[in-house]
Amino acid sequence: MTSPLLSVRDLRTTFRTGAGVARAVDGVSFDVGRGETLGIVGESGCGKSVTGLSILRLIQPPGRIETGSRVELDGRDLLALDEESMRKIRGNRVAMIFQEPMTALNPVFTVGEQIAEVVRVHERAGRREAWARAVAMLETVGIPAPAQRASEYPHQLSGGMRQRVMIAMALVLEPALVIADEPTTALDVTIQAQILELLADLQRRLGSSIVMITHDLGVIAETASRVVVMYAGEVVEEATVASLFAEAHHPYTEGLLRAMPRVGQARERLATIPGTVPPPTAWPSGCRFHDRCPYAWERCVAEHPPLYRIGGGHVSRCHLAEEPARRASPHEPWAVARGVGA
Amino acid sequence: MALAVRWLLAAILSALLSLLLARRLARLADAPMETPAGRAARRFRANRGAVLALHLLVALVVVTVLAPALAPHPPAAQPDIVALKSLPPSLAHPFGTDQYSRDVLSRVLYGARVSLAVAVLSVLVAITLGVAYGGVAGLAGGRVDAVLMRLNDALLSVPRVLLLIAVLAALGRIDIEALVLLVGVTGWFGVSRIVRAEVRSVGATEFVTAARALGIGRRRLLVRHVLPNALSPVIVAATLAVGNVIVLEAGLSYLGIGVQPPQASWGNILQEGAAHIQALWWMSLFPGLAIVATVMAVNLVGDGLRDALDPKQVDGR
Repeated sequence: MTSPLLSVRDLRTTFRTGAGVARAVDGVSFDVGRGETLGIVGESGCGKSVTGLSILRLIQPPGRIETGSRVELDGRDLLALDEESMRKIRGNRVAMIFQEPMTALNPVFTVGEQIAEVVRVHERAGRREAWARAVAMLETVGIPAPAQRASEYPHQLSGGMRQRVMIAMALVLEPALVIADEPTTALDVTIQAQILELLADLQRRLGSSIVMITHDLGVIAETASRVVVMYAGEVVEEATVASLFAEAHHPYTEGLLRAMPRVGQARERLATIPGTVPPPTAWPSGCRFHDRCPYAWERCVAEHPPLYRIGGGHVSRCHLAEEPARRASPHEPWAVARGVGA
Repeated sequence: MALAVRWLLAAILSALLSLLLARRLARLADAPMETPAGRAARRFRANRGAVLALHLLVALVVVTVLAPALAPHPPAAQPDIVALKSLPPSLAHPFGTDQYSRDVLSRVLYGARVSLAVAVLSVLVAITLGVAYGGVAGLAGGRVDAVLMRLNDALLSVPRVLLLIAVLAALGRIDIEALVLLVGVTGWFGVSRIVRAEVRSVGATEFVTAARALGIGRRRLLVRHVLPNALSPVIVAATLAVGNVIVLEAGLSYLGIGVQPPQASWGNILQEGAAHIQALWWMSLFPGLAIVATVMAVNLVGDGLRDALDPKQVDGR
């Protein structure tokens, strides 16, 4: 196997808050191969967005990436670079697509100017050349009448168009890695499919790798080849998409899959995972999911589970890997017993 | 009479400028392509009071700039201190004369130059200082921000008028430049708070993060992405501050520590008239009216700008 494009090792990102130190990302490791799409999935507050921002070192005080974390791009540790070298990587080698196309574009400049700015900053291209590249890129992302659209302002475009502009900005310099943070969450379902298709198409053409951050397992199923499930700042399960959908190992992933609507299924209430993600200033002892888990037993409170190898590259942070018999006897999660509603 | 012709020409010039301004606004507002400036222009135009006030300000600026050509007499001339003293308004002296036989209209015209210049220049000084200070605090964040802003709070708690009175009284007679500087230097504390808050809030928006994620450098980020989006409240604050400083200058001159006679300013004309207000009412009335009209116009324009530049405002179209 060739070396991965991106290798994240033991990433820890903390925020000093009034309520204590929030360990938003707490020892996350994963690899992204060349041309591969890795999905990162989890609920709000599980640390997936902070992971994305940490890769590009966009964490602002009071947040900080703890020493000992490593983020290697092509074997080069990004966390050891000085700010100027890092700036040259952003937008050029690694780009990011944000969730809200409404707010992620500067309202006072035309979209063409914003795309051209990326070209000019990184390639010292002239005004006219940069503009031409911007227009060409708008065409690539499927915007009709690109020459005219380029001189329009973000608020003149629809949500789907704006997301295409975001993608154009991120991909104009053909980065090796694209971090897409919930790129379709703010869009209509039909537009969602178009945007995902566009991303996949551009990926094929440019050979970029994508880290697809989402809370939507449907998006993962459509785009990713491998998936990392995050919970409470940790990776709780990692597998190929096929393996994960065939047999989720971690009870949290199981819950996520059950909470997903499926076509052809009888209309019944969707399952939910009771309780909410605990606050990052006070992760629970032992397994961080024990309170919401239907299989939890004493060991889960006492002992923090390591990532167990299940086989075939499938790993899971759950003691069930060692005591599979317990899967046969689920119970009410303790959070429910304590009266915390679903 | 040559003077009447000059006034007529000034009126025509002012009307012409007003017309040009109105056309420019209309063109912006009706541009086929929707731009932020166009939207602001449309909202501003919808506010009748603000538009009227803007035209009034145009006229005021024309008259002020052309004061030497429009004033019937030199402002300090005392043509006949016996025969022409303390005359009520007449055709020869529309605003009357004062106790030294000086023409009040001429003094109000020249006074406008001083009053407006002091107001505009000192606000420029204040805005520059405020943007620099607030920008640094907002960008730096953390401890630097905390220390700068606490210092700012301390400065804000100093009563400005009292401070100015104390300093001016201690300095004695000072020239206009020094007055502008003093008023400017004591006027930026509020501005820096606004700028700092704006820079913080714009800095936290997703498009700034997105710009950073695309490798836009610090300086470019500030100049191209943060400041243009933080500017509108500063423009509004500056406009309103001009109105404030006109009143402040009038107050200081009224107290005899601002603009020193024989140089005329609206404040000191008013002050000289105040002693004889029962007999020589015209000496106080006309500069007073000038102050009220100007400040009101400035505030109306400021209000109009605030509504026009407010991104949260929804407009009908």
